[in-house]
Formats: sequence, C-alpha cells, structure tokens
Amino acid sequence: MAKLSPDDLVILLVAISTMLLLSRFASELGRKIGLPIVMGELLVGIVLGPTVLGAFSPATYDTIFPFTTNTHFAIALDGIFSLAVIMLLFVAGLEIQLSQVIRQGRITVYAGFGSMVVPFICGFAAAWLVPHWFDIERSENFIFALFLGTAMSISALPVIARILLDMKLFKTKVGMVIISSAIFNDLVGWLFFSFILSIAGKSEGTTTAIGYTLAYIVAFSVFMLVIGRLLLNRILPWVQTSLSWPGGVLSLSLGLCLLCAAFTESIHIHAILGAFIAGIAIGDSVHLREQAREIMHQFVTNFFAPLFFVSIGLKVDFVQYFDGVIVGVVLLIACIGKVLGASIGARLGGMNWHNAMAVGFGLNARGAMEIILGSLAFQAGLITQPIFVALVVMALVTSITSAPMIRFFLRERSPASVR
Amino acid sequence: MNDDQLKGRPPYPFETIGVAIAFSSSRLEAVLAEAKIMAECFHARLLLIHIGEQTPAKEATLRDILARLGFDALEVKTIWQQGNPVKSLLAICKQNLVDLLILRAKRREKGLSYYLGSVVRGLSRAAKCSLLLLTEPEINGTPFKRLVVSGVQHPKTICTIKTLNYFAKGVGAQEIMVVTESDQQGLAMAMAYDSTANQSTNVKEQLSSEEAKQLHALVCRCAPCEIKVSEELVLGRPGFAIRQYAEKVNADLLVINSPDAKYGLIDRIFTHGMEYILENLPCNLLIVHSRVS
Repeated sequence: MAKLSPDDLVILLVAISTMLLLSRFASELGRKIGLPIVMGELLVGIVLGPTVLGAFSPATYDTIFPFTTNTHFAIALDGIFSLAVIMLLFVAGLEIQLSQVIRQGRITVYAGFGSMVVPFICGFAAAWLVPHWFDIERSENFIFALFLGTAMSISALPVIARILLDMKLFKTKVGMVIISSAIFNDLVGWLFFSFILSIAGKSEGTTTAIGYTLAYIVAFSVFMLVIGRLLLNRILPWVQTSLSWPGGVLSLSLGLCLLCAAFTESIHIHAILGAFIAGIAIGDSVHLREQAREIMHQFVTNFFAPLFFVSIGLKVDFVQYFDGVIVGVVLLIACIGKVLGASIGARLGGMNWHNAMAVGFGLNARGAMEIILGSLAFQAGLITQPIFVALVVMALVTSITSAPMIRFFLRERSPASVR
Repeated sequence: MNDDQLKGRPPYPFETIGVAIAFSSSRLEAVLAEAKIMAECFHARLLLIHIGEQTPAKEATLRDILARLGFDALEVKTIWQQGNPVKSLLAICKQNLVDLLILRAKRREKGLSYYLGSVVRGLSRAAKCSLLLLTEPEINGTPFKRLVVSGVQHPKTICTIKTLNYFAKGVGAQEIMVVTESDQQGLAMAMAYDSTANQSTNVKEQLSSEEAKQLHALVCRCAPCEIKVSEELVLGRPGFAIRQYAEKVNADLLVINSPDAKYGLIDRIFTHGMEYILENLPCNLLIVHSRVS
C-alpha cells in the first residue's frame, strides 16, 4: 500500500495546522469588527496562496504547500478538501427541515418560489443572451447558463440564521418566512446543481443519459427522504439511548453521510448530493437530539470549514483574476433577481411591502454556500477563474449588506408588525 | 342558513354534543357512557350519529345499551345516515349546530391506514365544532383531572384556553398545564461558526425567556382562578414536544387548536404539528375549533 513518508506527513500536518491556526486568528479579528468568519478564512487562503505568499516568497509557499513538487502531499490534501466539502454539505442538509416549509404555508411557498425562479431566470438569461459579459463562448454556454441561474438562486441558511439571531428576528414571522424560504432555495438549488454537475462534461450529452441522471437523482432523493427517514426515525431513538453517547449517533450520522456520498459518486452524480440528502434525512428526524446536532455542527464548521475556505485562496489568484465587469454584472444580477423575486413573492403571499423587502434582503445573503457552489463548479470546469472570483466577491458583499438592509426596511416597523 | 348561525358562534357552551357511534367497536357502550356523562356535565342535548346502514339488529343493540346506561331521562336524538363518514359527519354536525363531537380514536394508527388518513384527520380541519377524541373510553367515565393545553402563539389560542376553562369546570378538572413549545431549529447552525460559550448560552436563555414571558402573559390573560394552572416551556419540534410532555405527565386530556390548513398525505410523510399527535395519541385529545378565521 502506498503511504506518506514521514517527511510528507510532517509537511501535511504543518500545512493543516497553519491553515487552522491562522484562519482562527483572522476570523476572531474579523468577528471583532463584525465581518463574516468565512471572510477571515478566505483572506488567510489568499495570503498563504499564490496571490500573496506565492507572489512575494515562492520558496516559502512551495515549502508549506508543495502542490507541484510533492504528489503525495497534493493527493492527501485534496482528499481532505473533498472530505471537507462533503461534510459541509452534510451539515447544511442537517438544517433542512422539510416540514418547516410545509408548516409556514402560503407566504413561504410564494417567497420560496419567487426567490428561486426570478434569480434563476435572471442568471440564465444573462449567461444565455450575453455570454461575452462573462467571456464565455456562445457554443458552450448552455450548461454555464444553467449553473449561473442556480448560483443566483441559492441562499446561505447558516449566514441567514445568524443574521436573524443577531437582529432578534429569529422567531418572528419575517424570520420564519426567510428561514423557510432559504430552506426551499437550498433544497431545490443543491438538487439542481448536482444534476448540472452530473451532466457537465458528458459530451455525448444524449437526452437518454440526461434522463437517467435526473431519474437517479429523483429516485435516490425520494428513497432517502421517505424510506430512509422512516428507518432513521426507528433507529435513532435506539442508537441514542442504547449505544454510547454521543459516539453512537455520531458514528451512525457520519457513516451514513459518507456511505450516501460514496453511492452518489459511484453512480456518477457528485458525492455532495449523497451527503446533503443524508444530512436532511438525519436532521429532519425529531429524534435527533439537539446536542448531537450541535456537536456535528461544531466539528465540521471549526475543522473542515476553515480548511475548505482557506483552500480556495490556495487555488486561485484573486488579484490576477479579479475582473471588475464580471464582478459588477454578477453582483447586480444576484441582488436584483433575489431581492425582487423574494419580495414580490412575499408580497403576493400577503406580507406588507416593508416586511416583504426585508425578506428579499434576508434571502439575498449567499455566504459560504455560494462559495462552496462556485468552488465545486470551478473544480468541475464549469466556470473560469474570473467568474469564480466574482461569485466569491458576490457572496461576501451580499452577506455583509444583508443585515443593514433588513434593518433599514424594518426600522420604522413596530415589533408587532414583524411578529 | 346554518353557515350564518355557525359564523361567530362561540365554541362553548356545549349546547349540542354529537357522538359518532360505530357498531363494530368493542367500546361502543363505553363511548355512549362517556357521551352521557358529558351531556350531563354540560346540560347539553345529545345527538347519536351512525354513518352506516340502519338495521333492526343495530337498532336493538343501541336500544339495549341506552336502556342499560339510563339514557331515558336525557334528550337523545339518533341520526342514521349512509355515505362518506367524514362528509356525512360534517354535514350532520353543521345541520344540527353541534358544538362538540365525541369520537373513539385509536392511540396509534399503523401501516397503510396511517398514510390513507383517518376520519379524525378529515374532520379536524373541516369541522365547525370541537372534537373530543377518546382513546380509552370507560363505562364509568374518564377522570379528566390533569389537562395539558398548547399555549402556542396563535390568534386561536386564547379561545382554545377559554374553551378548556369551560370544559375543565364542567368535568371537575384539578389541574391545567399550559405548555409552549420552543423549537430551536437553526440555532446550532447559527451559533456554530463564531459564538463564544457565553454568547451561545445567553442566546438560548434569551429565546427561552422571551417565550416564557409570552406564555405567562397568555396565562394571565385567560387562565381561570378556580383551577390550579401551571406554565411549562418545553424544547422540541411543535406537536412532537407537547405529545411527549403529555405522555410524561400522564395527562388525561391534551387540548390543541384546530389546524389552519387541511392535512394531506404530504403532511403525513413530512410529519409536522398536529400530525405528531394524531400518529400516536398520548391521551384523550380535544381539538378546539374556535370558529374564528
């Protein structure tokens, strides 16, 4: 069996610890001035990667991150990054409560559809009709248009939940509509993105192959969310009371996550779909104790998330590939599509205009989920580096502006009208 | 005609109590005994409703049971009707201005019947009266001593608690527990990234404290003074948490608002709210239809 030499292992461990320690330091500094944690992690990646360290001290960069000279190191770190993205999608799925969407009723249906369909159309139309804005050839822009539409329609549930919590809107009517709509956006968005990843690169691209891919995705999702959930609802109470705590439930959850990820990867759908659906199936169970959920979140967001977000800066030169036009276009389409779609949806669902606009800006926060989506698309060759950089910038800008905009639209409202 | 009479009609007093009777049930006599006790407690007119064929054998059985239970003194009317149980019961209750409909319900629905739905589910949303589901009816009457009511933040809740007060006085209850459920969904995710230990604890305490305050305000507004009332905040998913609480405290009756929307197959697959209670009844259940939109 091939294995890492002691030297390779030392380099790998030093690289991981450097990423973890520096990203924690940067994130804590950022937290003091109210910046998203993910921004600190990305900045560390940019500093450690080709943008800064690679440009100013290539020798140091090659010593800490010998991607080009040490294949073992590169493969091992790539494995860890892949595991990180799988785990991130798993915990994203943990918070998708399908019953929450059903429970919230009409407003959520309208806001959820509006915040999905309008940005999708905006993104798809821009990429399809004016591909030169994105430096894309017209002949290859169908899959890209599908991706851009999806990227515009996705939301970032963790960021949104945190914003609402900080603004004491978490348990209000507006808050519940935003959370439920974000759940809907994420569910549909990630399922569709898995589909895009699966069909991308299938040059033969026959209708039959696409049909099979779609059928696999639907069949797997339905199986896990109906039969899988039923079985988990039977097993979880036993696991949590009869096996070691929290070891039993953690082993079951993470084991199932990796198993589902392996399964979807084996049928040529990306591993993220398996992890995401496994997360939903486990997280939706009423029997999953809150403490177990917290442990999984803490483990993933404090170990895997920093590694993943730092890795983004390691892979892309943010200065070289920053294209003002693309950034501006992506930002504009993202904000207009999302805010307009969600607000109109919420208004049609029965909310007043102020609250509906707050819902629009609440859902506009893209945060870490957009960066994960962009990163996967970049790895799959769906997008170029300038577009990836634009998506990262858009994710950060929308996350930072979301809270002030919600506050602006709710500032003159009485608490009762928000509740 | 009856639509106008029903609109705005308060859910109590119970002037007319309907009882759905099934001759296939081994507890028919117990259900009728419970209905008789209720009718006496609330000085109500009693309406026996059978959805099915009217046969001499059934009539004889009913006559025997009514005689044994001493129904003679009461004003009892029996309606026999064939057709869809839910639609027929709804129509009869509407025509006769029924205020409370008593039904026998299984504690747990198993297998396909759960997904196909039950008469109770069909009635829960559409009925224009309150429903009392008896899981273990007794010949001597169920002792409704300990009552648990959902104090969910909803316009219907005040009416539900007031109806429960009326019910509790009528049946001689000893204790009412007003319970609110605190769903902490999303909290773990929101706090995982950048919260200190103190912040996490403070946020949780603050959310719980706000909900406890709202519950207290609700109780102060509508709880009776003659019966012992306690307030309880339970953590968990709405519907599931209160079901578990009712089981834990051995409640005799769980009281909830009528649902806002019709429950269908999708609600059974992705269980939420009242479905958690109906799928596994912890005790007898009173679904109060407040007749407010």
